[in-house]
Amino acid sequence: MPANRTVEQEALDRLLSQTAAGDQAAFAELYRRSSSRLFGVCLRMLRERGEAEEVLQEAWIAVWHRAAMFDASKASAITWLITLARNKAIDRLRQRREQPMDDPALLDELVDDDPSPAVGAENSQEYRRLRECLDQLEPQQRRSVREAFFSGATYNELAARCKVPLGTMKSWIRRSLLQLRTCLDT
Amino acid sequence: MNTPIDDGNTHLRYAEYVLGVLDADARAEVEREMMASDAVATTVALWQRRLFPLGEEIASSEPPAYVWHRIHSQLGLDTPSRVEGSGDAATRKPGLWENLRFWHWLGLGTSVLAAACLVLLLLPSRQPVAPAAVYMASAITQTDGQVGWTATVDVGHGRMVVVPAKPQAIAAGHAPELWLIPAGQKPIAVGMIGGSAPTTLKLDPTLLAKLGPSAALAVSVEPPGGSPTGQPTGPVIAKGSIGTSPDAARGQPVTLLNRPDEKVRSSS
Repeated sequence: MPANRTVEQEALDRLLSQTAAGDQAAFAELYRRSSSRLFGVCLRMLRERGEAEEVLQEAWIAVWHRAAMFDASKASAITWLITLARNKAIDRLRQRREQPMDDPALLDELVDDDPSPAVGAENSQEYRRLRECLDQLEPQQRRSVREAFFSGATYNELAARCKVPLGTMKSWIRRSLLQLRTCLDT
Repeated sequence: MNTPIDDGNTHLRYAEYVLGVLDADARAEVEREMMASDAVATTVALWQRRLFPLGEEIASSEPPAYVWHRIHSQLGLDTPSRVEGSGDAATRKPGLWENLRFWHWLGLGTSVLAAACLVLLLLPSRQPVAPAAVYMASAITQTDGQVGWTATVDVGHGRMVVVPAKPQAIAAGHAPELWLIPAGQKPIAVGMIGGSAPTTLKLDPTLLAKLGPSAALAVSVEPPGGSPTGQPTGPVIAKGSIGTSPDAARGQPVTLLNRPDEKVRSSS
């Protein structure tokens, strides 16, 4: 797991461990180096700037308080940080989406056909691998997985957006996840 | 319920959790399981490693500088609230709390406590993100009636700033020590304070709990390392009562900067 981490990732690991020890300068540096990635995640999921800023703030407050729970043997610091931001964003979405999203314009925007960008040299080995495995899925199932990941939508919301029964959406996603695991772990 | 080792749909729930498709209740359930079981936490981490590379497609976006200021202020950090590369940070003016002249002015007032409360209430409330802050202030008055020091306690952060109103003449080879005297009890050492420079003291929770309108502060003259007995041994040169200013300074980023001339010491 800590195997092929980049120099930058190792620096972030170190900064997060120092933050756990109450090092405020390390915390500030960690923020400087990684907040734009976390903010990107919040923006993408919440699609509303003010809310994304609030969630980013909540996430960093939690980073300060929970840094001691970071375990470098389980995940890299950047994964840990993005997980935290993503979880905060999903919490916010779950509060917000008590009322169904029925804006047709927004729906069209969300369900893109195949938005996968080209794989470039800047992408990590892990990303290329995941893309290879995603490409082996049925197009509809691949779209559902991508949509789920980027929007943080529930099964119910995904089913409504793609206009398929809930059971269909669940089996698409579950089958995709099993297939991805097999593909990635071999 | 199935065990985490089960390879059926239960196991997939951790993947569904990572992907983000579960509703709030199911998410909370997985989070409880993660806390209770290391095996579950590891399974979730494995799924994160599998799926998170997809996040590389998400474009980074620089958040506005005020987000950092809010975080800094909400956590009460005492490093400078500057993040290199974030726009308006460099031009930020120092807060009132950091302004030495303000503390001197405060110390010279006749109705110091009233002034302190008034000033704290009048501080501009820019970003109401922090919980209501509670401050306590005390004018520690010398035997000649002049204010010797002002002490302001930031209860939320467990800190006290003690500022001499003017440079104090302390006998050579001696230093002023601050004491907290709860009503009807023996003095408790708070820490050594500066005779001519402000001092920031950290207050532990037991000490904080004893601060209040019925308690008093006193300054005695002691050996430089503090009283050897744990009780005042030299003459008491100043005394003051403590007042509370609830809700004052709400939202104002109160930042304690450690100046070169300001010593941070720990109580006890």
